[in-house]
Formats: sequence, C-alpha cells, structure tokens
Amino acid sequence: MVFEPPPIELEPLEPPSPDPNRHPIRVVVTDDLDRSRLTVAFRLILSIPLWIWLFIWSIGAFFAAIVNWFLTLIKGRSPLSLHDFFAAYVRFSTHLHAYIFLAADPYPGFSGKPGYPVDVEVDPPAPQHRLKTFFRGILVIPAATLAGTLVGTPGGGGSSNSGYDDQSSSSWEYGITLASGFFALSVLAWFVCLVRARAPHGMRDLFAYGLRYAAQTWGYFFLLTDRYPNADPAEPVADLPEVPRPVRLNVEDDLRRSRLTVFFRGLLYLVHLFWLVLWGFAAVLALIVSWFATLATGRTPSALHRFLAAYVQYVVHVSAYASIVANPFPGFVGAPGTYPVEVEIDGPERQHRLKTLFRLFLAIPAFLISATLNWALFLVAIFGWFVGLFLGRMPLGLRNLGAYAIRYGAETNAYFFLLTDVYPYSGPWEFAAPRPAPPPPELEPEPEPAFT
Amino acid sequence: MEQTTLFPTSTISQAESYERFVRWDFVLVQLVVIAVVAVYAKIGPKFVRESAAGPIGTGMLLAMLGLGLIWLLQLPFGLAELWWQRRHDVTEASYYEWVVGGWFGLGAEFLFVCLAILIVVGLAQVVGDWWWLPGGVAFVALATLFAFLFPYLIPGQEPLRRPALQASANSYEEQLGLEDIPINVQDVSGETSLPNAEAVGMGPTRRVILWSTVLRRPFTLDEQEVVVAHELGHHARRHIFKGVAWYALFAIPGAFLISRITRRRGGMRNPEAVPLGLLALVVLSTIALPLQNVITRHMEAEADWVALTLTQDPQDAEGLFKRFTFAAHADPSPPTWSYVLMETHPTGLQRIEMVRAWQAREQPSP
Repeated sequence: MVFEPPPIELEPLEPPSPDPNRHPIRVVVTDDLDRSRLTVAFRLILSIPLWIWLFIWSIGAFFAAIVNWFLTLIKGRSPLSLHDFFAAYVRFSTHLHAYIFLAADPYPGFSGKPGYPVDVEVDPPAPQHRLKTFFRGILVIPAATLAGTLVGTPGGGGSSNSGYDDQSSSSWEYGITLASGFFALSVLAWFVCLVRARAPHGMRDLFAYGLRYAAQTWGYFFLLTDRYPNADPAEPVADLPEVPRPVRLNVEDDLRRSRLTVFFRGLLYLVHLFWLVLWGFAAVLALIVSWFATLATGRTPSALHRFLAAYVQYVVHVSAYASIVANPFPGFVGAPGTYPVEVEIDGPERQHRLKTLFRLFLAIPAFLISATLNWALFLVAIFGWFVGLFLGRMPLGLRNLGAYAIRYGAETNAYFFLLTDVYPYSGPWEFAAPRPAPPPPELEPEPEPAFT
Repeated sequence: MEQTTLFPTSTISQAESYERFVRWDFVLVQLVVIAVVAVYAKIGPKFVRESAAGPIGTGMLLAMLGLGLIWLLQLPFGLAELWWQRRHDVTEASYYEWVVGGWFGLGAEFLFVCLAILIVVGLAQVVGDWWWLPGGVAFVALATLFAFLFPYLIPGQEPLRRPALQASANSYEEQLGLEDIPINVQDVSGETSLPNAEAVGMGPTRRVILWSTVLRRPFTLDEQEVVVAHELGHHARRHIFKGVAWYALFAIPGAFLISRITRRRGGMRNPEAVPLGLLALVVLSTIALPLQNVITRHMEAEADWVALTLTQDPQDAEGLFKRFTFAAHADPSPPTWSYVLMETHPTGLQRIEMVRAWQAREQPSP
C-alpha cells in the first residue's frame, strides 16, 4: 500500500509589490570601491569624449523636452519613447558624473544603458498632474539650485542659454559643474584613489547621495515623473560601513515650526552667533592645552573633553536653529538632552598620538567636505525659511538633509577638537533604518516521500 | 511774537501741512506700539514653548520677539513717513535702504535687549524682586559706557577741513575752557538733505559732529560758526553727563516700577513676565516722554544761549534758525500737545524769540 500525503500547497511567490512611497527614480550602487590608478590619474582627460557626447545629447534633449512638455500636458503622461529617451539621458549623465567624481570606476558607455556600478532605475511612465507639468520649469528651481550646488546640471552646468552667446554660455555651464561642491571634493577623492587605489567609502556614498538627488531633479525637469526630488538622506544609497561612530546625531524634532520665530530667525540667531564667537575663542585656547595633554598622555583630559564637547554640542544646537532644522530657541551652554537636534559624543578614549600630532592637517579634507555640506545647509535654511513661514512646518527631506550636514559638521568639529580620533564619515547614515534581514532562502518543495 | 512776522505765510502753511501728517503718524505709531505690546503681554508667554533655553535665554527670546513684532507693525507707518519725507525732499533714502537699514538696526536692538535681559533676569535669579536696585545701577553704568563709546559708532566721520571754521572753533573752545575737542564731519549725502550737528562723547571721546549738509550752501560761514558754538556749548555745560544723570533718575525708579508690575507674573526671574515687563517699559517711557522733552529742550536752549554769547552774532543765529525751520518743514509754532510730546528742541519761534531777547539784553539799540 502506498500512502500519499496530501500535497503541500505552496503559495505562489508574488513579485514584491512596489512601495508606494518609493521614488520613481532611484540610484543603485553596486560599486566595490576599488579604483584603477591609471584611469584615476587621467580621469578628466578620459572623460572628454563623454562630455562632448553629453553636450550633443543635451541639445537634442532640449528640443525633445519642449515636445515632451506639450505631449505630457495634452495626454497627462509622458510618451513611452520620449520617457525612455530621457531616462537614458539621465542615466548617462549620472554615469558620467559618477565617473568624474570617482564614485565609480569603469568607463561608462555612451548609450546610458543600465548596469553601471552607480546606476539609475526609472519607473515606467505614470500619469502626471497637468498643473505640475505646466509649471514644471518654475517648480524645479529650488531642487535645481540644490542639485546644482552639489553636483551641477546634466548638460555639464546650467540649462538655460538665454542672454549668452554660445561660447560664453557653454563655458558658463561647464564652469557650474567645475564650481559644484562635488567637483571640489572629487579632487580630494582623486588624491586618495591615486594613493590607495580605493575610493573613500563615505565620500563615495556622499557622491551617490548627491547623484541620486540630481537624477531625481533632472528626471523631474524632463517629466520622467511628477514626484518632487527627495532630499532625504534617510534611505542609504549603498551599504553602510560597520564602524562604530563616536559622534551620533539624535533628532527628535516634530517638524512643526513657529512662523513668528521663523520670520525673525536670522536676527534671533545673532545673539547666539555673538556668544558662539566668544566661546569659540575659549574653545581654541582649550584645544591648544588639550592638544599638548593628548599628545603627552594619549587621551584628552576629562574636563577639557567635557568643555569642548559642550562647545561642539552648542554649535549643533545653533546650526540647527539657524537653518530651521529645529524649532526651539536653544540654550547658551550646550547642555545635552535639551534640544531636539543634538549629538551624542562618547567619553574620552585613547587616541593615536601620530593622528593627534597632525590633527590640524588631517582635519582639512573634512573641513572641505563640511564646507560643501554647509552650502547645502545654507540652502536648507533659505528654502526652510520660506516653507516654514508659509506652512508652519519643515519638509522631512529638507530637515533630514540639514541634519545630515550638521552631523557631519559635528563629527568634523569633534575630530578637530580632539574629542575622537575616528575620522568623520561623509556619507549619509544617521536616518538609515536598520537593514532588513536577508530574505529566507526560497523553500523548494521537498521530494515526496514514498512510503511503501 | 507772531510767527507771521518772521516767516512767509506760504512757508508756515507748507510746514503745518507737512507736520500734520508727521504728527498723526507719530500718534498712530505710539498707539500701535502700546496696543501691540499690550496684546503681546497677554499672548507672549505662550512663546515659552518655542524655547529650549533656560530662563535667561527664554527671556531673551520673548523680549526679541516683542521688539520684532513692534518693528513689524511699525513698518507701514515708517514707510508712510518715508514716502512723505521723500515727497517733501526731506530725505534721499530709498525704501529699500530704509527697510534694510531698519532690519540691521533691529539686529542691534536685539543684541541690546539680550544684554538687558541678561542683567535683569540674571539678577532676578540671584536677588529676586530686588533686581531693580543693582539692575538700575547696571543700566546707568551701561548708559555711561554707551555715551562714552558712541562717537566710535558713528560711521563716515572725517576731520573738519575748513580752516576758517576750525579757527573759530578753537577760539570758542578757548573761551569756554574746553580742551581740544575734535570737530568732525559726517557724510550724510545720499541719506538726507536735512542739516544737523551733534555733540557726542564723554571725557577723552568728546567731539562735535557736523553733518555734511551743514557745510553746504546756503549755510554761510557765520551760520556754521553758530552751529559749532552751539555744539561746543553742550560740551561746556556738560549736557552728556547731565543726560546720563537724568537717565539714572528715570531708570532706577522705572526699574522699581517694572519689578512691582511684573510680580503678578512671578517677577522677572520668570521669563513669562518679560512681555509684561516690556509693556510696562513702553507705557512708562511714553509717560516720561513729555518730561524728557522738557529736559532736552532746556539743554538746547542753554546751548543756544552759549552760542549767542560766543558768536555775538544774533543776525546769523536768527538766519540759521529760520533756515533750519525751512529745511525741515518744521512748524514754527506747533500745537501744544505736539510740542509736549514730540519737540526735543525749542520751536523755531522760541529760538528766534531767544535771539531777540539776548540781543535786547546784550546789545541794546542806542
């Protein structure tokens, strides 16, 4: 007699339903951080053909964008052929910028095909709000300003030629990318990659974050989607490093803003600025004493650590207040646990004496990165001021971008003021949700036992 | 004296028309300020929740917001006055300059009020309701310091480069027993066409500042000498010191009254009392305004008398006062209420009457 057990009914595996909050334009990073010294050395020259091709493609994109705008206005959806054309254009531009910024290593193809280590995923065309389409050229301005500050624009710079002759216009456009914060940082990355044959993890992630925002901005402008670019660094673009961070940011802000204090924010900040400068003098004196002590003992004295940590904390409070990343008027002593945006700084640890000796020089790259992020923070303050004044609240993405810049500034200050010898991590990580556990391996139906 | 005997009727009617607007604007501003701070005294404590600072920081926030609201609601009246002044060629300032300048001025006020709150709320944490005594003294000390440093805060100063006028100034200083007081010129071109001068500083920082408008035509050298003599008269009679002393007489009792008034909100140690303290300050300042004007008018009259004595030139003094009246579209004989509330100087008519009185006494006609 043969006993046959009832067949196991396996539920059919459904493709994961797309998250409705997922942005239609995403950057996927599969880069392994390894770099070829030879191609790094000649990166700028190697990219010349790509720039020429991008320039030619941009001219086509300009006219296609006009056609696409009319068609999207009429049909309420971008035609598939144009959608694919612009998706490839945005992808190629992202590849090129990733190549230039050393966020990726291989030479990109000219067609904008997927598969590059810093790649762009674009969802298929979806219905778009006609009013948003009509005003797209105006609506994109704040996002384009931020993206331009970080990365530049897809055609290598500005997108408008009006008022300039061709020659000056292209040099102006090219100048914008050269002047973008990331280009300046890529010079730093260039040296590191040449020496180590490996890109710094944090800087690569910072570039990837900026490229994601830029790709979303370009996609928004070219009507690939009507979802506004998301500045939120909450979703990490790549794997996070497994390094414990001695300086951590806590954000408990509810996004509500008082219109009156927002209106006068610049002036209310003055008194803190005044105090910040005075305290800064004392902090520098304390730093000098601390430097000698840390060199001698290998550890910052507790009292100096507390004093300097309070100063770093106060800078965080004041920066958050000035940039509208937080709402309440901060206190003047940098007391922990009193402000919705603040850093947690570990106590004094042993520090490497060589790193202490050269701390001033070692901190310079971090200060340069911080300066770039501070430009973004400045824009957060400007946009946040308008939005806060009209809506009485701060957009989450903008708030989180500001918090990211503040955290990096705090890490840099903590490093400079000898509170830690762990180098600041320039990638966005503070809002990263814990990585989901890897899905269990797909269950294969076991072979049916045969009972005989 | 009848003003019609001294000024053309058209000038008088033009000045009356000009000043009518200015007066009502002033009255409206006063009413608006009092109304704003009264409402703020009620709703201001709610803004405590917008602060993560301790009592002093929260007090600073509430005081700054109060000042900010006052500035904001005064803005349309200020713009209206600017429009009126531009229409009458009294000022050359643009609207943009005025608003931006006002914004930066507000920033300076914010810093000052923060210092004041640091003193008041800080002392109240230590000595409770007795803060007014050391606080009043501290404010007087600050006022003295400010009067001392004020000359360094005036932008665009240059030494006087008119040898004849400088020689007269040296002679007056010698007669008054003053030691080498610098005469500086402040360039106000592009800001205003009004003529003005001031005596500033204490002790080693004393100086006379002439606006560049005074050194232009139609003012003659003799008239400029009257101006310099007038300002040196302020220094000779120690008016800056006396001004600080008067301030002390107002500040200390004023601080006492504010400490009493704010007790209902827990006293100034509690930042929630700051809006009420601001209301008390505004009301007391408004009440004190007529008395302060009496004091400054008296000082100005005294300086006029010194100038007449030094220059021995009543004709040019009278001409100067007439010119001031014309240039500023000042009403030579304003209504009493306006005189009491707004006039920090004697009126044009009063100044000319004084000139005539001095002449009758010192240079009687044969």
